[in-house]
Amino acid sequence: MKISFKLNNKNVSINTDPMRRLIDVIREDFSLTGTKEGCGEGECGACTILMNEKPVTSCILNAVHADGNEILTVEAIAETPEGKLLIDCFDETNAVQCGFCFPGFLVSSYSYLKNDGEANLDKIKENLSGNICRCTGYQKIFESVFMACNKCDSNTE
Amino acid sequence: MNSVRKFDARPKLNGSWKFIDDYSDKDMIYGYLYYAKVHHGVIKKISFPLEFDLTEFTIVYAKDIPGKNIVPEPEPDQPFMTTREITHFGQIIMGIAHPNKETLRNFVNQIKVDYDELPALTDIKETLENEKNAFGKEIIIDHRRNFNNSKSWIKTHSVYYTSHQEQAYLEPQGMIAIYDAEKKTMFVKGTMQCPFFVKDAVVQILGNSVREVIVETSEGIGGAFGGKEDFPNIIAGITALLSYKSGKPVKTILDRSDDIQITTKRHPSRVEIETLTDPKTQKIRSLKIDYRLDAGAFQTLSPVVLARGVLHASGSYAIEDSYIQGRLFRSNTPTNGAFRGFGAPQAFFAIDSHIEKIAAELNLNPYDFRKKNIFRIGDELPSSQKIPENHLLDCFEKTIQKSDYQTKYREFIEYNKNNKDKKGIGISLGYHGGGYTGNGEKILNSEIKITIEENAEVKIFVANTEMGQGAHTTLAQIVSETLDHPLERTIVQLPNTSKTPNSGPTVASRTIYIVGHLLRKLSLKIKKELNFENLEKYIKKKSIKFPLEYRMNFVPDPSVFFNEDTFQGIGYKDYSWAACVSEIYFHADSYQIEVKKIWTVLDIGKVINLQIAEGQVQGGLIQAVGYATSEFFYKKGFGRLEGFTDYVLPTSLDIPEMDIEFIHTNSEIAKGLGEIPMDYPAPSIRNAFYQATGIFINEIPLTPEIIFKHIREQKK
Repeated sequence: MKISFKLNNKNVSINTDPMRRLIDVIREDFSLTGTKEGCGEGECGACTILMNEKPVTSCILNAVHADGNEILTVEAIAETPEGKLLIDCFDETNAVQCGFCFPGFLVSSYSYLKNDGEANLDKIKENLSGNICRCTGYQKIFESVFMACNKCDSNTE
Repeated sequence: MNSVRKFDARPKLNGSWKFIDDYSDKDMIYGYLYYAKVHHGVIKKISFPLEFDLTEFTIVYAKDIPGKNIVPEPEPDQPFMTTREITHFGQIIMGIAHPNKETLRNFVNQIKVDYDELPALTDIKETLENEKNAFGKEIIIDHRRNFNNSKSWIKTHSVYYTSHQEQAYLEPQGMIAIYDAEKKTMFVKGTMQCPFFVKDAVVQILGNSVREVIVETSEGIGGAFGGKEDFPNIIAGITALLSYKSGKPVKTILDRSDDIQITTKRHPSRVEIETLTDPKTQKIRSLKIDYRLDAGAFQTLSPVVLARGVLHASGSYAIEDSYIQGRLFRSNTPTNGAFRGFGAPQAFFAIDSHIEKIAAELNLNPYDFRKKNIFRIGDELPSSQKIPENHLLDCFEKTIQKSDYQTKYREFIEYNKNNKDKKGIGISLGYHGGGYTGNGEKILNSEIKITIEENAEVKIFVANTEMGQGAHTTLAQIVSETLDHPLERTIVQLPNTSKTPNSGPTVASRTIYIVGHLLRKLSLKIKKELNFENLEKYIKKKSIKFPLEYRMNFVPDPSVFFNEDTFQGIGYKDYSWAACVSEIYFHADSYQIEVKKIWTVLDIGKVINLQIAEGQVQGGLIQAVGYATSEFFYKKGFGRLEGFTDYVLPTSLDIPEMDIEFIHTNSEIAKGLGEIPMDYPAPSIRNAFYQATGIFINEIPLTPEIIFKHIREQKK
């Protein structure tokens, strides 16, 4: 089946089995390996991408779900001003450990920063609760996103 | 304590850092480990689905192994693949490879294996209660002093249980093997803690059929926590065999469901403790411990876990008369293995719960009772090793003071009288001996290498892997600070068995403590020998042949001796110490424990990078919160769990506030850090629940179901 969608701001089109997992299409057909498979059942959030600006787990979606939609992966998000700001903050706190879950955290944090962005710990925790991290105990992740929210605020004011 | 930034943070964040599944090659085919779906039995027949062309597949069985079908381990008793007999669920029957991932998956799902099933032992308590299931070498630590027991002493007896715990590294296990038929070499790359262990395993399975085996880690290792200490040996061995047979590069990535079902877990435990306490002095006079671990179907590295367990079993208390027995028990469950803490979390859970029981029997405040009994300088551990300092006492006092334990303890008693939901506060203490147990480091004889290149780049060659703990940043920082050379020009090389000397496995909280210390010594030697102020200027001035190469081996301290038979002597040269207080809120309607705050004070010696050290403690504390409250491995009626949907890991909404402090940091030595944050916190949560409800629960995790069961039983 022919599937056409917008991937990282470019129009793309592929011929593939519509039931293939979207994560496999992204990683294998487009070599975008920043999207990681942690659990394969939509539980850990390592494969989070943005579909029409909403965070979704690509391991439980099929190729056909992408058709006609707009997808952003971590590779593109990392190049946006908000993505860069978040990377700076995660770096500053030394939050990253093994890093396998972090592309997913970056996508979810980016979505929070774009859509709400209030420097509010409870809200940050709520918005990141779909991403599991086993290394860090989350504390430095919260601090980083909080820091990014504050910096974003002071930039816009 | 200079928190330099990790060199790998940015590429990990933008997705460009490569983990094992991110490597590909056009000729690469996919491997799969096909495993038994019964607990115990004999294979009768294997039937492959008819609609597939079998010639497209590469299949390897035990009989295809050109070398030895035994995984190299401290106790080499586990085969890579079974011949006929199944002794545990998940035992590998064959390796299968195919160029197409989906075809492989469909094929595997339709394979039928008929078994003659035999009765199986899978229940933890059933396994550990029956002495007939004990196997392997028993450990006895006999520190009895045979004094006359006074009749007025109070005997306290209880049994404590802990469950399996899944490492849950976010990146599942995986290996790539590339066989070069012309050169007869095997190259293996993957996610692992111990490249030289993996090399030994591949050499073992392939025997003389290859000339050379080279093992290299992937750029990124997505968490490990002990889970990638020995299981990678099996994946690497079978993947290499598939590559050898097919002549193609083979990539085997376990999906989460397979990974969670067949790889090693933390050992379930049963620890029975009997103490005699003098009510007049409030001192524990005598201690007897029966420490049992469920090893699963094979021993593999369990004897080493058992050794660490018994050496930490008496906890943080000075008891002059003690007798500790340690045994492994066999069941028909997958072999258990390494997990951060390595026998110590089970030990501390038992002893620090037991301390609470004695305090309650004597009607004493838990803080006061611990203060009476905590060991002090000169006191002896059951191994006769003398406590060298009062740093644990310092951690303890500081944690109590910071948490305002005594005030809260009193306030919560009042609060709980008038409220349905309860509040509780609990203490626990712990320590962790750095490096291999006993004479282990002497035997390992770690070697390191540093080179100085013509462009003034300093290269560090160690076999220890960067799996998120920040080891490669911290090791580079040690060399950079000692040589006074820019950090960005001081680079730890990717571990590769043909390039890096064997500085030992990345385990046992030894990477900074042993390998980092060696690097510092070698850097000091280089600095003294070359006598430079500034390395770059020195290089420009001198006409030398590059690269300059320096090597150094571990030099054992001659005063350190440990008797492996009696378990007397120096179990560990240096211990890290820690204390913690946890505050909880118990939701009486939902039987749920909410951990509100954890205060912890640690002595890990010198802190090289404060942010990295904090990150280690935060991550460890939360793994301990999961261990104590939610992480339960077996589902009633459904057998083993199949993924993260049913294994409840702490999420961002379950995180207590954490107050972490390091003391005695002006030390020369950076002691072990990796494991200790997981060792000691769990019993503090149990003890807080005990204060909150008065219900004495002798097992973890304290899931709502288990709490409900105990409340119902104790009401009867």
